[in-house]
Amino acid sequence: MGRLRTIWAKLKGQAVQSREDDAFTDEIREHITLLTQHYRAQGMSAEDATRAAHRQFGNVTQLKERQRWQRGMLSPVEWGRDVRFGMRMLAKKPGLYAAMVIALALGIGANTIVFSIVDAVLLRPLPYAHPERLMEVRSQHLLQDGAVSYPDFFDWRAQNHSFTELVSYHGESLTLTGVERPAHLDGEVVSWNLLPLLGVNPELGLGFRPEDEKLGARVVLISHALWVSQFGSDPRIVGRTMQLSGEVYTIEGVMQASFRFPADAPQNTFWTTLAVDNDGTPGATTANRGDHELAAMGGLKPGISEAQANAEMKAIAAGLSRKFPASNTQNNSAHVQSELKAMLGDTRTLLLVILGAVGLVLLIACGNVGNLLLVRARERAREMAMRTALGANRARLVRQLLVESLIVSVLGGLAGCTLAFVSTPAVLRLINDSVPRAADAGVNLPVLGFALVVSLASGLIFGLVPAITSARGDLLSPLKEGGRSETDVRNRLGSLVIVGQVALGIVLTAGAGLLVTSYAHLARSDEGFKPDHLLTFMFEIPDSRYMNNRSDFYRQYFEKLRALPGVEAAGGSLILPMTDNSMHISFENPEHPLPPGQLEDARFDLVSTNYFRTMNIPLLSGRDFSDADTVKAPPVMIVSRGFAKKFLHTENVIGKRLKPEAGNDGPVMREIVGVVGDVRHGATSLDLDPGYYLPATQFPKACCMYSVVRTQVEPLSLEPAAKNLVASMDRNIPVTDVRTMQDRIGLELAQPRFAMVLLSAFSGLALVLTLVGLYGVMAYSVARRRREIGVRLALGAPRAMVFRMVLHQAAVLVIIGIGFGITATLASGSILQSYLYGTSPRNPLVLAGVCVLVATTGLLAAYLPARRAMHVDPAVALRYE
Amino acid sequence: MGEGKSEVLQGTLDLMVLKTLYAMGPQHGFGIARRIEQVSDGVLDLNEGTVYTALLRLQQQGWIASKWGTSENNRRARFYSITKQGMKQLNREAENWQRVAGVMERMLKLERQG
Repeated sequence: MGRLRTIWAKLKGQAVQSREDDAFTDEIREHITLLTQHYRAQGMSAEDATRAAHRQFGNVTQLKERQRWQRGMLSPVEWGRDVRFGMRMLAKKPGLYAAMVIALALGIGANTIVFSIVDAVLLRPLPYAHPERLMEVRSQHLLQDGAVSYPDFFDWRAQNHSFTELVSYHGESLTLTGVERPAHLDGEVVSWNLLPLLGVNPELGLGFRPEDEKLGARVVLISHALWVSQFGSDPRIVGRTMQLSGEVYTIEGVMQASFRFPADAPQNTFWTTLAVDNDGTPGATTANRGDHELAAMGGLKPGISEAQANAEMKAIAAGLSRKFPASNTQNNSAHVQSELKAMLGDTRTLLLVILGAVGLVLLIACGNVGNLLLVRARERAREMAMRTALGANRARLVRQLLVESLIVSVLGGLAGCTLAFVSTPAVLRLINDSVPRAADAGVNLPVLGFALVVSLASGLIFGLVPAITSARGDLLSPLKEGGRSETDVRNRLGSLVIVGQVALGIVLTAGAGLLVTSYAHLARSDEGFKPDHLLTFMFEIPDSRYMNNRSDFYRQYFEKLRALPGVEAAGGSLILPMTDNSMHISFENPEHPLPPGQLEDARFDLVSTNYFRTMNIPLLSGRDFSDADTVKAPPVMIVSRGFAKKFLHTENVIGKRLKPEAGNDGPVMREIVGVVGDVRHGATSLDLDPGYYLPATQFPKACCMYSVVRTQVEPLSLEPAAKNLVASMDRNIPVTDVRTMQDRIGLELAQPRFAMVLLSAFSGLALVLTLVGLYGVMAYSVARRRREIGVRLALGAPRAMVFRMVLHQAAVLVIIGIGFGITATLASGSILQSYLYGTSPRNPLVLAGVCVLVATTGLLAAYLPARRAMHVDPAVALRYE
Repeated sequence: MGEGKSEVLQGTLDLMVLKTLYAMGPQHGFGIARRIEQVSDGVLDLNEGTVYTALLRLQQQGWIASKWGTSENNRRARFYSITKQGMKQLNREAENWQRVAGVMERMLKLERQG
């Protein structure tokens, strides 16, 4: 407390500094006058009394100094003087200081950009009432998290004591009809108690009630945006109805404009209850324990910890697994984790890796500035010695030098913020929507605060050491030897900084190199089909009107589509490959019967005729599906080669029979009629997945396939024709999600691409900074050793030897740095492990390449100074003073 | 300075000033210096300027307050007075000092043993 008060008094003291000075002068004068009178009264002469009074009082000037120091060591007047002086020093060496400011601006700018993203994605709480109590609950088997089925969810909800509310949710797309222009809407199917859990109220209306989950209920909450765009902001909207995919829904409320659920799905415009998943039949989604497609989220009760909830849910899941072995053997556990963590998943680590990388860049930049300041300090050793000799106090000199580095850091910070402000949009475009919530990133107050703190901290880091070492300096040698003395400490410090920079550069470059290698693997490896010249889009054929003639619609539609000019082939598929979507369905093999609950499963797809030809997936044997494979025809299926090998242990599988657990009226035995090549289901996985295909014509109730069109022309040029075609068949069916296949793959690759680009940019930056830093140190070292080199040359040393000598000096530093860098890279390799495809984090080729790159950069930096050293003219150098 | 004079121990000046202000009420720097000189009976070698350093320090701690008044010469002078917190500090410090002094006294009285 007392300390704080002293500091406060000192700070306050600044404001009244000069007034206090005057007052204190008066006070002292009066004291001495009184003291003189006192001695006079004791009988001294006037002269003696004055002298005695002064002696008794002590050194007035010194006292004033001390009072001033005590009152406010941070006097604004003196700081102003330091700043002005610092600016003059900067102006004297504009090139040198510009190099420092640029290095810092790059470092701080890159950090500010990354921090703005980290802030938006990781640091901001979810936009709900008690974000810290929101937990995601997932089904788990062998530590693999998975989705939940409705019956399991209902049991969880009934049995748990950990959560105030537990809600289910899953995405859903429906078509808004009965309006001028039908539109495809994204939304979410949720439990009735979503809003109580989130602690959010609608802008209009009251939200769902428990009875809204009952069979047949069709109620909906709509987003503010939809309310404005489709309903003209009608204030009496609540209670009115809207048509979604041909069914009538009652609007129960309008959400606030800022409302988002899930937090990473800003596109959602409606929320409806799980009643829509219940068609009242025993096979309904809400009654099928084997149908895992839900996410679940709960709010911890007060006093319950995440660990307690986790333990309870695990126990409940284990109980369900014992009770329902047929469906739940593979879901015998559960996993509770914080909602934000669950939403971000691996992205969290990725962002932290990038934040770490960009922090290293700043460290390298600080190293540069520090080194340049050291060089500068050596040049100014004479000035410092002179000022100390003339009585400047050391604290003052340190402060003066610190002010200079703070000016540099503040200028660097300002430039860095500007850089961040200008380039954040480009980085956000690069990220696209591959990182949840990143779109909210921007240079705002916390981010600017961060930039300020980083600038000042870096100013202190790179400023303090040079300031202290140069202010410590002994007085004599710089003055005596004409300013060419060498302080070992500083030299070693400079070398240490270079070694550190090279090491950090290696770590960054290796990281970037690994990501580039991995990305190249992802982008180049075989997809199993030809992704160019493919247009894809989708539309919903609503159950309400097409339940019984969907196959006819599709047959006519595909015939017309194939007839469009520019179309080479066309087909449809429920789940497109390379989009990271997949559905796994188990199947029975009569040759190797297994108990229920332990059936093998594989990736599954429902396709139209001609799909394989359209995608250029090779048909290896047998036949494609045909229009003759109707509901009435014998059930058939096609498997991939990998499937045949993995599950049937032979490629000769035509005519064999399996019973997939899928069918309109329960599973039926199907005959394998064809074998096709394998495809990759995700752009971020290298494996060609074994899978099997069923004909859409035998599943007329299934909705809805993506259309795939192989074009002879630019794919997107066919978009209008395709849309017109669908509208001509039913004007209430809007086409949505129109993209080329390559676009889709590009979107899937956005995250690895942005990680790669960012890390490459940072390592490039690190290399340039290291290059400049090494160049600076070598150039200075050569300049300083000019006389020595002159002497060597004069004594007959060959010029080539001088050249080698300088290169050798640089090479030692670089090699030591590379050694440390490689060690650090090998030690930290596992951090990147989960982001690398087709390469080990210790890929020797990449590491060797990185070493060569860094070594070349280092020698490049040393080349010019070495040449300069070689061309030193001994006569000039020896005369040079 | 002559023999028989002692340096003012670090930290003791603050205590002296506090005690003076406590005992004599508001005083200016000169008054305080006189009182210390008088009480010490010329034993202490005090640079009177340092009284002001102590005064500033005490003021920053909030243990004394000051206001302007007139000196014996009818000129402007700053008068210092002890605050409530200053009294508490004085009690603490005085106790502490007495304890230390007691220990020192006993220490110095120790006879050579053995």
